[in-house]
Amino acid sequence: MTSGSSQMTLRTDGLVKRFGDTTAVAGVSLAVEPGEFFAIVGPSGCGKTTTLRILAGLESPTAGEVELAGRDVTDRPPRDRETNLVFQDLVLFPHMTVAENVGYGLARDGVPEATRREQVEEMLETVGLSGFGDRDPASLSGGQRQRVALARALANEPSVLLLDEPLSSLDRTLRTEMRTELRRIQRDVGTTFLYVTHDQESALSMADRIAVMRDGRVVESGSPSTLYNRPRTAFVADFLGDANLLTATVQGRENGRVTVEAGGGRFDAAADTGVPDGSVTIVIRPEDLRPGGETLSGTVRSVSYKGAHEEYGVALDGGDSVRVRTRADGDVTVGATVGLDVLDASLVTEANTEDGE
Amino acid sequence: MSGLTDRSWWPSTPAARGTVADAGLAALPTALAVALGVVPLGFLFVESVSPPVTLTNYAALGGSVYPDVMLRSLGIGVVITGICLTVAYPVTYWLAHRCPARYRLALLVSFTLPLWLNYVVLNYTWVWILAENGLVNVLLTETGLADRPLDLLRGGASVVVGPFALPSLSLGLGFVHIYLPYVLLTMYVSMERLDYRQVEAARDLGAGPVRVFRDIIVPETYGGAVAGALIVYARIAGAFATPQILAAPSEQLIAQVITAQFYDVLNYPFAAALSVAFLAIVLVGFGIGALSSDVRAELGRW
Ligand SMILES: Nc1ncnc2c1ncn2[C@@H]1O[C@H](COP(=O)(O)OP(=O)(O)OP(=O)(O)O)[C@@H](O)[C@H]1O
Ligand SMILES: [Mg+2]
Repeated sequence: MTSGSSQMTLRTDGLVKRFGDTTAVAGVSLAVEPGEFFAIVGPSGCGKTTTLRILAGLESPTAGEVELAGRDVTDRPPRDRETNLVFQDLVLFPHMTVAENVGYGLARDGVPEATRREQVEEMLETVGLSGFGDRDPASLSGGQRQRVALARALANEPSVLLLDEPLSSLDRTLRTEMRTELRRIQRDVGTTFLYVTHDQESALSMADRIAVMRDGRVVESGSPSTLYNRPRTAFVADFLGDANLLTATVQGRENGRVTVEAGGGRFDAAADTGVPDGSVTIVIRPEDLRPGGETLSGTVRSVSYKGAHEEYGVALDGGDSVRVRTRADGDVTVGATVGLDVLDASLVTEANTEDGE
Repeated sequence: MSGLTDRSWWPSTPAARGTVADAGLAALPTALAVALGVVPLGFLFVESVSPPVTLTNYAALGGSVYPDVMLRSLGIGVVITGICLTVAYPVTYWLAHRCPARYRLALLVSFTLPLWLNYVVLNYTWVWILAENGLVNVLLTETGLADRPLDLLRGGASVVVGPFALPSLSLGLGFVHIYLPYVLLTMYVSMERLDYRQVEAARDLGAGPVRVFRDIIVPETYGGAVAGALIVYARIAGAFATPQILAAPSEQLIAQVITAQFYDVLNYPFAAALSVAFLAIVLVGFGIGALSSDVRAELGRW
């Protein structure tokens, strides 16, 4: 196909998938680099699983192309693709032992028994399950089954590993532990990971790059810190964390920054995209509002204690409401008047999620 | 305990009372099993060794055509069961996993329609279709594909493959028509329980259609296949009406021989001995199957 695409392990171009009247995927183009940990996040039903199944070859797209290592594989069956999928519910083979599960892909690739046994043992060691080979998958804990599923999908060394929310069934502690593990394993084996989740926290903590999806489309993609700190859309700002969205008017602009008036105060905001005239939306993270300042002022409406920090709901004198997050020191009470400084703000296009565009 | 009551037969602990209740609950099925299974079998056995007590009836089993007939009955049972399974696997797989959901029920019902009809009627539809002046022959001669009617009904010498004699065309069709629905039903139940994503997982890891069948579909639906085979096998081998209507003269089956002994020869003890011996052979076959722990585990799910 196109030259220069060979650097990309995985590339899609305008993927569309329709099921009858529903359009599950509405034109997804992605480019994933070798060795990258790439995450796709988006709310439930936005087409993440469908996209992944198209990449795995389990679903054929209505339109668009899938390219693996420079080769067009759009019409190839799963066994002709160097991708393996870790299913959302794992789907281990219940009638096979752990070792048989892990070795299944190797056996299908024609790896002889003796070599296979070695590689399976190695793989089990990588995922921290040495000595579990003879066990029955049903006799394992949730976290252990998770590791078996991972080992099974990694064993025959796919060039891209596709993971569909593999941690969603685990409890919080285990999930945090498995995130670290996944990241470590990915570094160890050096395989490209394409990780799909609706949990923005997982994506932010693991991925090198993130694509945020909505209604079958990629809204924005970039590094976690860029997307979190400099979102370009209100949707992404809101989806990737808590966000105060304020309507603002632009007062002045200079290379990449604007001065805006919002919530009864005047402050600077980053503006990566073109700045429209008149009314705009800016996003301020709750932790970027510092009590004790003078830029904005308002009345505390609620205080909630969250362990390491506290959150206030503040009704600004300018009319808007914002959330403020600071270290817990317990000296703010409901009804008190506070002044706030704006540490960071960015201008976003597009109105709030629910309002559409 | 105190001497206030003298109900020493009544268990004093809840656990022991539970045991009594369990025994009570088990009594009805046990009685049924005895009445339906053991008693008739007992009568049959007593008859087979009369006048008491003689083994001459059993000794006579080795002679004449009887060993041949038994072998043929068992062989045709195996062949027809095999054909039913071969058809049922792809059909139920498709029905449970590939067929659009809105057609599924209608198709399942039509597949199993023959279960609701009298099997003698079903057998006679094949007479009507395959007879010398039947549907197929009329079509063949009218269109000029054949210049004279073919010998389709109760015709053709049996082809022998290894230990098994293949049934004649009309007998085979008649049997499959009647017994396929049972196998379809039992297979469908376990096919539906197969998680289709397992098929996808295997394909994703590089399995082609043959490996998917061997590695996933067969192990996961084994129970349904065994159950289906158990249900139909003995009934085919011991069938009476179907061979009576559709079998070639050379392929008498055991039930026909037994019936002849009862009604024509009036030799009840020998007929009984034939029945007992055939039952024993069938049971030994099941026993060998059930001895393998694999099969037992699968049967345990049923
Ligand atoms: N086989 C199918 N037939 C019909 N509609 C489907 C099918 N698969 C998915 N859809 C629809 O496509 C849309 C996207 O589904 P998909 O499973 O890709 O979402 P998702 O982003 O993975 O959601 P979740 O986070 O809940 O898993 C949904 O509206 C869904 O109902
Ligand atoms: Mg999904």
